[in-house]
Amino acid sequence: MSNIPDPILEGLQRGWKVFGGKHAPLPQRIECDVAIIGSGAGAGISAELLTKAGLKVVIVEEGPLKSSTDFKQREPEAYASMYQESAARKTKDKGITILQGRSVGGTTTINWTSSFPTPPDTLKYWQDTFGLKDYTTEALAPYFQDAQTRLNIAPWAVAPNENNELLRRGAAKLGIKAEVIPRNVKGCYNLGSCGMGCPTNAKQSMLVTTIPFALDQGATLLVETRVEQLTIEGGNVVDMQCIAVKPNAAPVNAAGPATTVVAKHYVLAGGAINSPALLLRSNAPDPHKLLGKRTFLHPVAITTAIMEQSVAAWTGAPQSIYSDHFLHTQPLDGPIGFKLEVAPLHPVFFGVNLPGFGEKQAELYRMYPNANLMLALMRDGFHDQAMGGKVELRSDGSPLLDYPLTDYVLDGARRAMLAMAQIQFEAGAKLVYPGHEMGVGSSTWAAAKAHIESLPMKPLLTKIGCAHVMGGCGLAADEKMGVTRPDGVHWQLNNLSIHDGSIFPTSLGANPQLSIYGHVNRLTQGLAKRLTGKDVVLATSN
Amino acid sequence: MSNPKLKRRSFLKLGVASAVVLAVGGGAIALMKPGLIDGKLSPAARAVMAKVGQAMLVGTLPSDPKALHASTDALLLRIDALLSGLPTFATAELDQLLGLLASAPGRRFLVGLSSSWDVATTTEVGAALQSMSASSTELRMQAYQGLHDVVCASYFSGEESWAVLAYPGPMAV
Repeated sequence: MSNIPDPILEGLQRGWKVFGGKHAPLPQRIECDVAIIGSGAGAGISAELLTKAGLKVVIVEEGPLKSSTDFKQREPEAYASMYQESAARKTKDKGITILQGRSVGGTTTINWTSSFPTPPDTLKYWQDTFGLKDYTTEALAPYFQDAQTRLNIAPWAVAPNENNELLRRGAAKLGIKAEVIPRNVKGCYNLGSCGMGCPTNAKQSMLVTTIPFALDQGATLLVETRVEQLTIEGGNVVDMQCIAVKPNAAPVNAAGPATTVVAKHYVLAGGAINSPALLLRSNAPDPHKLLGKRTFLHPVAITTAIMEQSVAAWTGAPQSIYSDHFLHTQPLDGPIGFKLEVAPLHPVFFGVNLPGFGEKQAELYRMYPNANLMLALMRDGFHDQAMGGKVELRSDGSPLLDYPLTDYVLDGARRAMLAMAQIQFEAGAKLVYPGHEMGVGSSTWAAAKAHIESLPMKPLLTKIGCAHVMGGCGLAADEKMGVTRPDGVHWQLNNLSIHDGSIFPTSLGANPQLSIYGHVNRLTQGLAKRLTGKDVVLATSN
Repeated sequence: MSNPKLKRRSFLKLGVASAVVLAVGGGAIALMKPGLIDGKLSPAARAVMAKVGQAMLVGTLPSDPKALHASTDALLLRIDALLSGLPTFATAELDQLLGLLASAPGRRFLVGLSSSWDVATTTEVGAALQSMSASSTELRMQAYQGLHDVVCASYFSGEESWAVLAYPGPMAV
């Protein structure tokens, strides 16, 4: 039995107002100043600032309230209870698997803690293309610094594990710069289990920071409760209809809404894919047919290396070294750029992500302790062949992303696999397998190069994953170009703000959590000022 | 063997696809039995997944017949556990997919397996799966990948797999 304090259980004992699931029954109707949909990166920052401004806040989360006592570092339980669609969310043609969170804290509860600011060249593109003139590094800096201070974000000071170190070692031999990743942790045990919920509360996710702050300020949290529809009248949201859902997201009672939430202002922060889907279900105005479009994924290509020595990729900070070299070897709108990182390897993740099966696979399974999985996040949204996907609705109202993998993106996958394989061989790999259904192990860089160059790069054949969903409610200074105004308010709905990764008009070219914190910090400070006249910041909560 | 009529750009529209397969096979949609019953593998789907699991995990599951039987049963139990956590639309898709694979036309045209599931050898099933994995027909590749994900996610969910991997398990805190 762990002796680690559980801040969630302690908060519940202090009398937090939590309804739904195993907690108090859902009330039929709740009135508040601001209703927040979701409890992830954007929702958490919004909740803390708005309660700090003295507003009565209700937070609605579709997933359960889990905490460190529940986090047993076991993949099956974690995937089933804390990931969208049991970690098996896929794009419409099944070509891309999407990892997104679905519990209190959203994806921040299960991410790998990598925390990067929005790259300056991405912001410059937004200024030039979407008219977002005040989206400059300088203007945003105080809001990013405030979020970094609040969430203890700093470069990882401990030596990287071998899984990450070999990226640095291989890159260095090729003269490629690789650097240390900033992480949002405090007193990290270096377990490597971030993706299954931090069992020591070291990860400064929304679950253990902003959401507890808001609940201590009197906010109400509804869990295992999904907002089915916003009721819209005359350019305003008048209420939201919520239903209780089971662990697999099915309605508890198909007969009708469980709870009506009425607020003066609404903050939509269900994350990309889910946020545009709610607006689609609600028949929100979309005069320029932009809603749900330009949804970006940072499509991820992978190569798996078998090293001479033990890697033990399941232990230690999951991501501590990265390289942006290949984001800058060509123009932003040239061949697609990619960011290099590695992935932690636990049994299910390893087994599912290795292409192929049978005897050859059995050999690879036995080399698991020596395995390294390198990944390339491709920067989509900057080229007319990388316009992202479109969110649609299934007949049951659940979201489905149609994201066609173009030849342009798949050319990037090939270039990324070549770059990664070369780095892995330089780091001492004895075998490298490209993430491709026809991929085989190569024992030299020359053989791997010839093999990867010969592979047909097609959807489904090329293994592509995703852990960063962005866009679908993009920001723009002109309503003909975006769903969301530069101040975060929906262009056609006066009392609805959108505060999550869905507002990004392109992908970022960096893991998105800190970008969501920083941008939403600025948007919410503005909203709090408009609603209350008060100035609030995050960092003093720390 | 693939059939050009099965080529489609869109996702596993199995309602339509299964009708096509059954029409090709000379059957009728009514012949297709559900793949899932009360959210768990039907007897016919258990037979499919047992053979698919054994073929995908050959070299990993034990070769001794008695031990293989026990490991296969454990795998099928874990597949049922995995199914219980999936959203309704996903279980509906798997219900259709497994029902289709269990039908003779589905087995022949989608999997490319001439022997019935109960007599097919691991080698025959493995060859059929290999053909599906790099098929020119999107539906066959989608079906293969669905089966691969279900088998691997279920197998590696079990602590028995840790010994195969030499995974020591999570660190105590």
